[in-house]
Amino acid sequence: MDARLRRVNKEIADCKNDRSSNIRIDLIDSSPFHLKGSFPGPQDTPYEGGHFEVDIVIPDSYPFQPVKMKFITKVYHPNVSSASGAICLDILKDAWSPVLTLKSTLISLQSLLCSPEPNDPQDAEVAKHYTTSKRSFDDTARYWTQIYAGGPGSRGKTETKESVRDEVAIAGLEKAHVDQFEALGFERGKVIDVLRRLNYRGANVSKITEDRIVEELLK
Amino acid sequence: MSSDYDYSDDDGDYYDEDDMMSTQDDEGSAPSDDDMDMDAFNDDFSVPTRNARKSYEIEHESLSQTAIEKLMAADIEHISGIFGVDEGTASLLLRHMNWNKERLIEKYMDNASAVSVAAGISLPSRSPPSSSAAAPIRSQGSSARSSSVPLGRTTRQRGKPNSRSPTPALMHGSGRSQAAKPEPFVCPICFDDSQTSFLALSCDHSFCAGCWNAYVTTKIREEGEHAIRCMAEECSLVAPDSFVQNVLSEDPPTWGRFQELLVRHFVGSNPNLKYCPYPSCTFTVSCPAASHKSALTTIVPTVQCGAVATPPHKFCFGCPIEADHRPVICGVAKMWLKKCRDDSETANWIKSNTKECSKCMSTIEKNGGCNHMTCKKCKHEFCWVCMGPWSEHGTAWYSCNRFDEKEGVDARDAQSKSRASLERYLHYYNRWANHEQSAKLSVELYSKTEKKMEEMQITSDLTWIEVQFMKKAVDEVEKCRTTLKWTYAMAYYLDKGNEKELFEDNQRDLEKAVEDLSELLESQIDAELIPSLRQKVTDKTVYVSKRNEIMLEDTAKGFLDGRWAWNVTVEGFD
Repeated sequence: MDARLRRVNKEIADCKNDRSSNIRIDLIDSSPFHLKGSFPGPQDTPYEGGHFEVDIVIPDSYPFQPVKMKFITKVYHPNVSSASGAICLDILKDAWSPVLTLKSTLISLQSLLCSPEPNDPQDAEVAKHYTTSKRSFDDTARYWTQIYAGGPGSRGKTETKESVRDEVAIAGLEKAHVDQFEALGFERGKVIDVLRRLNYRGANVSKITEDRIVEELLK
Repeated sequence: MSSDYDYSDDDGDYYDEDDMMSTQDDEGSAPSDDDMDMDAFNDDFSVPTRNARKSYEIEHESLSQTAIEKLMAADIEHISGIFGVDEGTASLLLRHMNWNKERLIEKYMDNASAVSVAAGISLPSRSPPSSSAAAPIRSQGSSARSSSVPLGRTTRQRGKPNSRSPTPALMHGSGRSQAAKPEPFVCPICFDDSQTSFLALSCDHSFCAGCWNAYVTTKIREEGEHAIRCMAEECSLVAPDSFVQNVLSEDPPTWGRFQELLVRHFVGSNPNLKYCPYPSCTFTVSCPAASHKSALTTIVPTVQCGAVATPPHKFCFGCPIEADHRPVICGVAKMWLKKCRDDSETANWIKSNTKECSKCMSTIEKNGGCNHMTCKKCKHEFCWVCMGPWSEHGTAWYSCNRFDEKEGVDARDAQSKSRASLERYLHYYNRWANHEQSAKLSVELYSKTEKKMEEMQITSDLTWIEVQFMKKAVDEVEKCRTTLKWTYAMAYYLDKGNEKELFEDNQRDLEKAVEDLSELLESQIDAELIPSLRQKVTDKTVYVSKRNEIMLEDTAKGFLDGRWAWNVTVEGFD
C-alpha cells in the first residue's frame, strides 16, 4: 500500500479513537487526501464556544512536505486572512517536520487562536486592530465567532437580540462613527470600508482627522 | 590578487590549487576551441589569445565542478586538521559559517560547543562536539532499542501557553509506546510495521530507511536544501554527508544533485567565484579581480566559462543585467537600463508639454484660451508666454510685451532646458534601441546569409569552407552592434569635453564600418563579382574587428586611468 495513504488512514483512525482532544477529521469526498478538520475554539478566548472548520489538502510528498491548511470558517485573527482563511504558522511552512500529524497540526492551530502573533501577521488590518485596541479586537473576534462559527452570543449582554449580521460590528467599528460619516451623505458600505482601512478604532480615533476620512471617502 | 578578501589566511594553497586546475582545464578545452572555429581563415581574424590579454579582457579561470570539489576538500582538510575533528564534521562547520574559515576558527576557538550546536553537529546538552560527531550514524535492528527511542514529543506552542487550552497531545501517545515495549519498533512516520531497517543521527531519533530516503529526496529535489535536518520536530541536528550518501545509496542521481548543491553553496559563499548562469551548466568562473564592488568602477568583468557550447557561455561577473555590456561599466549600464525602463519618458513629456504655476508649482497643461492664466489651485494669475505675474502686464490682455522681465526669462529658461534634455535622451535612446534591434535581427541575417552561402557554392567554384567568410562577417557585425549599443548608454552619461569627443569619434568610426559591412552583406550576389565581394567582405570584417577592439581597448583604458567624467553621480565614483 502507498505509504502516504497508509499514514493518512492511520492518522484519521487515531483521531477517531481519541475523543479527549475534541479534534475531528472528516472526509470531504471520497479522496482521503482532501479532508476537513474541526475543533472547538479555545476557552477564555474570543473564540470560545465557536466551532472552527479547516480545509486540509495532503500533498503528494506528504509527510515530507507540510499539509496545506486554511480556515473554512471565517476567523478574526491577526495570523489568519479574514478574506481567504489562509494561515500564517511556521509549522505549515519551514518548521514542518514529518513527525507532525494532522491532529497535532490542528492542535497547533487551536493554540494559535490562544496566542496571536500580531508582529508576524497574515492579515495586516486585523493585526493593526489587535495592536491598537485589544478590547475592541476581542469584541469583533467574539462577534465573528458568534455569527460565523456558531458561537453563543455574549451571555446576558445587549448584542444577543441582534439577529441580522451587523456589518459595523463585523468590521470592528463603532456604530456612532459610521453613523457620523453616513450622515454626511456617504454610502454606508463605503464608510465602513474606509474606516476599517484607516483603522479608525481606539486611540486612533483622536489621531485621524475627519478631513482625512472625508478625503479618503471622496477618492 | 587582493589580500583583503575573507579567506585570505589560506590564499597560497587556494590559488596553487587554482592554477593547477586551470592548466588541466586548458588542456581539456583547447582542442574544442579549434573545433568550433574549424576555419581555414582563422588567421585572418585576430582571435584574442590568453597570452596577449587586451585591457578590456579580464583575467578569469573556468573551473569544473570537480575542481571546486577539490577546493572544498582542501578547506575541509585544513579545518579538520586544525580542530582535530573528522571531515564530515569539518564540512558541516564550514557550511554553517558559509565557508568563512577565519570566522569559523575564531568562533570555534571561542566556544566550540556553541558552534557545534548551531551547525547541527551536536545536541545542546552534550558537551564536546567531537565525541558525538565521532559516530554520527547509528543503524539499529528492529527491536533492539525501541524502548529508548523518544517517540513522544510535544507539539510546539506559539507564545505563552494558555492554561485552559487543550494541552497539545503527545504525537503518538507516549503511554502507548511505553506499554508496547515488547512490540517491534514502528516508524513514527509511515507506521509500517514491516520495516526492518532503521537509521538515526546521533540524536537517536529513529526512522525507517524508506522514510529517510523519501525525506532526503524531497529536501534535495524539491527544496534544494544542502543542510538536511533530522526529521524529528525541533531537532536541529544536520545529517552529515556520509549519512546522506548512505540513505541515497540506491539513488546516485539525487546524491549527485546533493553534491551539486554543496558546490553551489560553496561558490555562493565565495566572492571570487560565480556559477555560470546558463541553464544546467555546471561550470564555475573564478575572477578575483572583480570580487570587490569597488573594482567594478574600473573594469567590465565579462567572463566566459569552460563549457563547450555555441554560442559560448559569456556572462558579466559583476552584474546580472546583460551577458556582455562592454565597454560600459556595470553601474552605468544599470543606470541606463533603469532610465529606459522607468517611465522617464512620461516625466519628460510632462516637462516639455506643461508648465508649472510659478507660485504653487502645480503642473498645468494649457489646452486653449488666452495667455492670461489663472491657476486653478492657488488662483495665481500669470502670463503663459513669459510666465511672469499677470499684474505686470497691465491691461495688455492678448499679447505679451514684457519679454524681458527677469522672472519670465528664468521660467522660460527652465522650460527650454527640459525640452532639450528630452531631445538629448531620445537621441541616445533611439540609437541604443536601434542597435539592439539590429543585433536581435542577426538571427534572421544568419539564415539569409546561409542561403547566400549556398548560392555562392552553386554559382561559383568556391568550396563550403571558402564561403565561411560570410558567417564570420555576420558574427562580427552582431558583436560590434552590441558594443555600439552600449557606447550610446555610456555617451549619454559622459560629461562634455575632449574625452567625450574622442570617445564619440571612435564610436562614429566603428558605427560607419559596421554599417558598411552590413550593407555589403545585404547586397545582391552576382556570380562574376563573388571574388571581389569576398575580398571586400573579408577586408571590412578585419577592419570592423579592429575598430571594435580600439573602441573597447580605449574605453577600458579610460576606466583604468580614471579618464571618464560623468554628468551624473555614478555609484562608486566620488
